[in-house]
Amino acid sequence: MRGFPVTPVLRLAFGLALAPLALVGTAHAADQVAVMADACSGCHGTDGHSVGGMPAFSGKKADELKKVLHDFKSGAREATVMDRIAKAYSVEQLDAIADYFASRKK
Amino acid sequence: MTKISRRSFNALVGAAGALSLAGGLSACSSGPRVVVVGGGFGGATAAKYLKRYDPSLDVTLIDAQASHFTCPFSNTVLVGMNDMAYIERKFDKLNTMHGVKVFTDMVTAIDPATKVVKTAGGKTFEYDRLIVSPGIDFKWNAIEGYDEAASNVMPHAWKAGPQTVLLKKQLEAMPNGGLVVIAPPGNPFRCPPGPYERASLIAGYLKKHKPKSKLLILDAKDAFAKDKLFKEGWEKMYDDIIEWVPAAKNGKVTKVNAKDGTVETDFEKFKPAVANIIPPQTAGQIAITAGLADKSGFCPVDPNTFESTLAKNIHVIGDAAIAGDMPKSGYSASSQAKVCAAAIIALFKGEKPLPLSAINTCYSLVAPDYGISVAAVFAVKDGKIASIPNSGGVSPMGANYQFRKKEADFAVGWYQSICQDSWA
Repeated sequence: MRGFPVTPVLRLAFGLALAPLALVGTAHAADQVAVMADACSGCHGTDGHSVGGMPAFSGKKADELKKVLHDFKSGAREATVMDRIAKAYSVEQLDAIADYFASRKK
Repeated sequence: MTKISRRSFNALVGAAGALSLAGGLSACSSGPRVVVVGGGFGGATAAKYLKRYDPSLDVTLIDAQASHFTCPFSNTVLVGMNDMAYIERKFDKLNTMHGVKVFTDMVTAIDPATKVVKTAGGKTFEYDRLIVSPGIDFKWNAIEGYDEAASNVMPHAWKAGPQTVLLKKQLEAMPNGGLVVIAPPGNPFRCPPGPYERASLIAGYLKKHKPKSKLLILDAKDAFAKDKLFKEGWEKMYDDIIEWVPAAKNGKVTKVNAKDGTVETDFEKFKPAVANIIPPQTAGQIAITAGLADKSGFCPVDPNTFESTLAKNIHVIGDAAIAGDMPKSGYSASSQAKVCAAAIIALFKGEKPLPLSAINTCYSLVAPDYGISVAAVFAVKDGKIASIPNSGGVSPMGANYQFRKKEADFAVGWYQSICQDSWA
């Protein structure tokens, strides 16, 4: 699962091209990164728009998200559950997830 | 739940019988047809994400009820932390925001040869691919004397709805000094930590309102999900209330008598004030009727697409599916639904489906301010869905109050987010 292409801008454009006007901004292609990242949305809300007490990703920059995820994986950042989850992914996968959420509509 | 109790409950909460939400954004749906059976975490998420990934799809969701009451957080309703409305999920946003056609009707038959679904309301729905997400049903009489009628006296409350209300009323009506029995089944079953969260919250209720009472867990197993963490919390808070009796110490309930209110193991007979019997389970009835289940009572599926290995063009997700290491939880169902939605779109395009990447994260409340969790990430290994090694697992033992409180707060945040992600 390492080394898949990470092209958030292109992917977003593709998603927009497919979507009818009414749904622009919510639709996107179901590629490998989307499937991997969308698994996070159960806790963090669709597109990272958390509606409750879970941290939201909307408005966060990719680099900021990457650092947090790397630190969860290494244990440098204190966590309740994210340390356990981040360890399951490679650094490349965490970066792709961060790019994905940073590219989603705010 | 009987059809009668469902109907009377619908009448009670004022939900209409037949209802369809077939307008909205669905006008632009000219692509292949996907029918989704069941509007729980699995079915609702699948319908929403199918439209999200490909708005041209023609997606129809059919559920027997006008709304879905979630099992997650139903234990908080039992003890008065939340009301029934808190766990009620409506389907209207799936239609108005995502363009899913929604029908309230019970699917009674599936014909894989002609790709048609039939309902109790006399409707037929044609599909190109079908997603079956029916949750669970019960093995009546697996425990001698525990049939559907007995469940109206000794509630399972393992499908949220009228059973939840019944168990709550019984807890409120029981005397101070009464005995509560919770009888969890052997594996596999829906929501593995659920019975123990329930025991915890009920013990908290008894401690506050009926402190002379006892709670006995008569278990068909010798170990359970998050067991060390639950026991740590019980010792701190409910030591004089909860007693857990494992199968090895003859905890397994073998017989009940709904008439005289007794519950029996091989060696003992109890007469609890409240008996919560959680019987062994199978995939939801429609999956059995349609021939999607194997001898285990659950449904074998391809681990990347969730397509049934017994019927082409039919996918089974959620509690009904045999999904390797993934537990039967709402989060699992919702995560599987996204993978399944993406796979179906790939299959429509004639592409190779993507490899599964899925998560389960599940919180349990040992008390309203004391949460614990389990998490895992999954991939397919050797043809089976497996947890990724050296990751996941449960909350640490011996954590301080702040840590447990934080996880209790996250439990609520989890619930709000997953409900949004699945139904809105």
